[in-house]
Amino acid sequence: MTCVRRCSFLLLLCCLAGLLPGPVAQAAEPGVLRVLAWPGYADPDVVRGFEQRHKVRVEVTLIDSDAALWQRMSASGGKDFDVFAVNTAELQRYIDGALAQPVDPAAIPNISRQLPRFRQVEAIPGLVRGGQVYGVPYTYAEMGLIYDRSQFVLPPDSIQALWDPGLRGRVLAYNGGVHNFSLAMLSLGSEQPFRIGAEQWRSTVERLIELRRNVLGFYAQPEDSVDLFRRHRVALMLANYGTQQLRLLRAAGADVGYVIPREGALAWLDCWVVASGARDRQLVEAWLNYMLEPEVSGLLVSRQSLGSTIAESAENRPQDHLRWLEAVEDVGRRERLWVRVISGDRLARVLAP
Amino acid sequence: MKLSPIRLGLGGRFTLLLALIGMLASGLTGYYAFSTSRSLLVTAAEQRLLTATHVLVRQLVVTLEGVVRDVRLLAGHPLAAEALAAAVAEERGRAEAGVDALFAGMLATRPEYFQIRLISAADHGQERVRIDREGDGMVRVAGDERQEKGHYPYVYETLRQPAGRIYISPPAINHEEGAHAGLGKPTMQVAVPIRDGNRVLGLVVISVDMNRIFQQLSAELPDKIAFMLTNRHGDFLVHPDPAKTFAFDRGQRVQVQSEFPATVDLLSGAAGDLVTVTDMPGPERAVAAFVKYHFGAEYDHRSFILGLSQPLADVLADSDTVGTATARIVVAFSLVSILLAILLARAVIRPLNQMLRSVERFSSGKARTPLPVQRHDEIGVLARSVDSLQKQIDGQMAVLQEKQRELDHLASHDSLTGLPNRRLFLDRLAQALARSRRTGEPLALLFIDLDHFKEINDRLGHGAGDVVLRAVAERLVAEVREIDTVARLGGDEFIILLDATEDRAVITKIATAVLAVLADPVALAGESVAIGGSIGISCYPHDGANATEIIAAADKAMYRAKHEGRNSFRFASGEA
Repeated sequence: MTCVRRCSFLLLLCCLAGLLPGPVAQAAEPGVLRVLAWPGYADPDVVRGFEQRHKVRVEVTLIDSDAALWQRMSASGGKDFDVFAVNTAELQRYIDGALAQPVDPAAIPNISRQLPRFRQVEAIPGLVRGGQVYGVPYTYAEMGLIYDRSQFVLPPDSIQALWDPGLRGRVLAYNGGVHNFSLAMLSLGSEQPFRIGAEQWRSTVERLIELRRNVLGFYAQPEDSVDLFRRHRVALMLANYGTQQLRLLRAAGADVGYVIPREGALAWLDCWVVASGARDRQLVEAWLNYMLEPEVSGLLVSRQSLGSTIAESAENRPQDHLRWLEAVEDVGRRERLWVRVISGDRLARVLAP
Repeated sequence: MKLSPIRLGLGGRFTLLLALIGMLASGLTGYYAFSTSRSLLVTAAEQRLLTATHVLVRQLVVTLEGVVRDVRLLAGHPLAAEALAAAVAEERGRAEAGVDALFAGMLATRPEYFQIRLISAADHGQERVRIDREGDGMVRVAGDERQEKGHYPYVYETLRQPAGRIYISPPAINHEEGAHAGLGKPTMQVAVPIRDGNRVLGLVVISVDMNRIFQQLSAELPDKIAFMLTNRHGDFLVHPDPAKTFAFDRGQRVQVQSEFPATVDLLSGAAGDLVTVTDMPGPERAVAAFVKYHFGAEYDHRSFILGLSQPLADVLADSDTVGTATARIVVAFSLVSILLAILLARAVIRPLNQMLRSVERFSSGKARTPLPVQRHDEIGVLARSVDSLQKQIDGQMAVLQEKQRELDHLASHDSLTGLPNRRLFLDRLAQALARSRRTGEPLALLFIDLDHFKEINDRLGHGAGDVVLRAVAERLVAEVREIDTVARLGGDEFIILLDATEDRAVITKIATAVLAVLADPVALAGESVAIGGSIGISCYPHDGANATEIIAAADKAMYRAKHEGRNSFRFASGEA
């Protein structure tokens, strides 16, 4: 009976659809939302919830690198997707290339749920241009310090600890030129770690050489860092992979703590951005609003060990200073000089033309 | 040809069955021979590859042991410790010069070394003596160009090694600026600490050109065999496709376990080996052997997996030859079996057909054809049985036919006189009437009744009557033409059918002659008995339209003759 009733209902719908004027019938087609995101940002259960609530279909495409994201978005001039996720530093070239369009915060009520530091968009570098907001902060990860509780009476509170001669040979740092230069700038008290002035290069390199002389070594992969940390009784580590490393170390049985130094921690911040080719503006805004629901944003913390913008994570305190990554003044120069630093050259040779 | 479907049916089916059995047998044998040869080839290839892999592992280990010996030799030289420990610059310079010469000598004889260094534990791992390979020559790195290496694993790990332990680094791409020939190349560091009592002074480290080692290892391998080497995580260090090697250095993972899933257990387990055949379809399918080697406790805990693989198609190339040969044999044997089946079917079916033909002809009464009675097998027995059966039936048929003839004669003739009886006479009369109606030729009946026969019978007995009847019959037969019929109707009544007779004169003449012979006395038991007869004559179509009418007419005429004086004849019509 129900089947018959359903069939006749469908038939009726078809007839009605046929009677409707053209433009209204076409409006059914944009009932598809095309999302370009990173793994873990739009899990199937999350997507299903949105589809049921708004009676639409969501097509999720996953990317796993900045290069893949750029390639996907720029291939069609932003026409293939309605909404995508990108970090604030990368966002700049999307705005430059007119692949992103401003969002209207008033259309997204859940923004009011966000922590103050994410609501104050003017304070987030790269998010606002020409008075218009280009993204909704969604998730982040910061590069804090991991320390061995047994080797510290008080938790270290400054990145200067990485240079502490008392910890010589018991410090681990990350093998990455761009971030390390920013780190050195922070340790020198700079408020502009992403902008090294012409007169600042020498002191920054010196600082990095000092870091080199103080560390046990530089790691590349999270697993390597855990292995070195445990085998060599490391006291302090710069956690390039943030809480992911913390989780790995704790899983391996290490008694470790995690702090955001008072100079602030470098952090990347991923935002949802409306693609320039978005078809249904209202649907995209509904998606942005849905992403800020507590049960959706909460999954970032519980499943991905990432930060959520609506609740403070266990490792972070409200007063922690997160320094959102920005495009740096000269990636090539930082990388070039870093290779010399890590190869063991002294100041004069590092700075040699 | 009513026979052909049966013959073709049985013979054809028999041939088909035998041929099928023959073809099936040779086909199955061929198939199993082929598949067995294939699995044997694969097993042989696996064993061959595994043996070769073990040999290569042994070679690699021997090579590395050679490096270990070299690094120990250099580190154990007193000049090395002296160069590190010397407090006076002059003394140190002399010792370093000696170490330098030592290193240069070693580097000159070992083309697989990129660089040899003496590194101090002090001054953040300051390089103290360093000789790099550069092109065909060597570079003595001196002064400011010597770097601080304390933060590299080969320094901090080596300095922390227990006494006597060697440090072997995982193979990696060397990104150290100023490494000359080794820059950007797969390199492995082998290092040993230099001690002065409990104090660690520094280390000697040799950077090994892994590409050269790999080339030496794989140089003697045939083209088709792929040489693979992975680190302990399964990342390819050597692979036929250079793009897959050292992928981790480019932020990617290209690992052996994704290409050869069977290696997962090998990677997670202890040292061991395995052979595997990948299940990828097409030309990618390969037979592969892997050996995991774990450095002994003397060294740092490093392991690697070495593997060799060969395309399955290449392994099975020989089996194609076997397959072609097998297919030929199968075809040949199938043809032979078809031929044999035909011959065999013919040998069995031909005598059967021969018998069948014989029985067919026999039952249709035709002349018999010969049976294969001379055979000594079951068919011969059957043929002889059929033969005797036929002969028996022949004999019985002859007797039966004789009896039939007798019965026929008895049914149509008078047993006493041998003359046709009433039945036969009526039959002949009907035929004569039919003929007469057609031809228009008339016929005549002479109805004869003997005079005074009853008296003879009564007076002389029935035996005498019979003699009289026989005599009369003989005389009547003698008197008429052959075409005419004389019959005894019963008792003393006889009848004569005169065919094609119309002329009354002729009839009269015959009747008169008959009366004359009847009048002739018959000798009976010494006495001569005179008999006589009365004759009634009817003619067709004159005296009746059918047999009954003309017989009745003749009968009536006979009675008239009898009443009018006996021993005479009367015509049924005409004269009266």
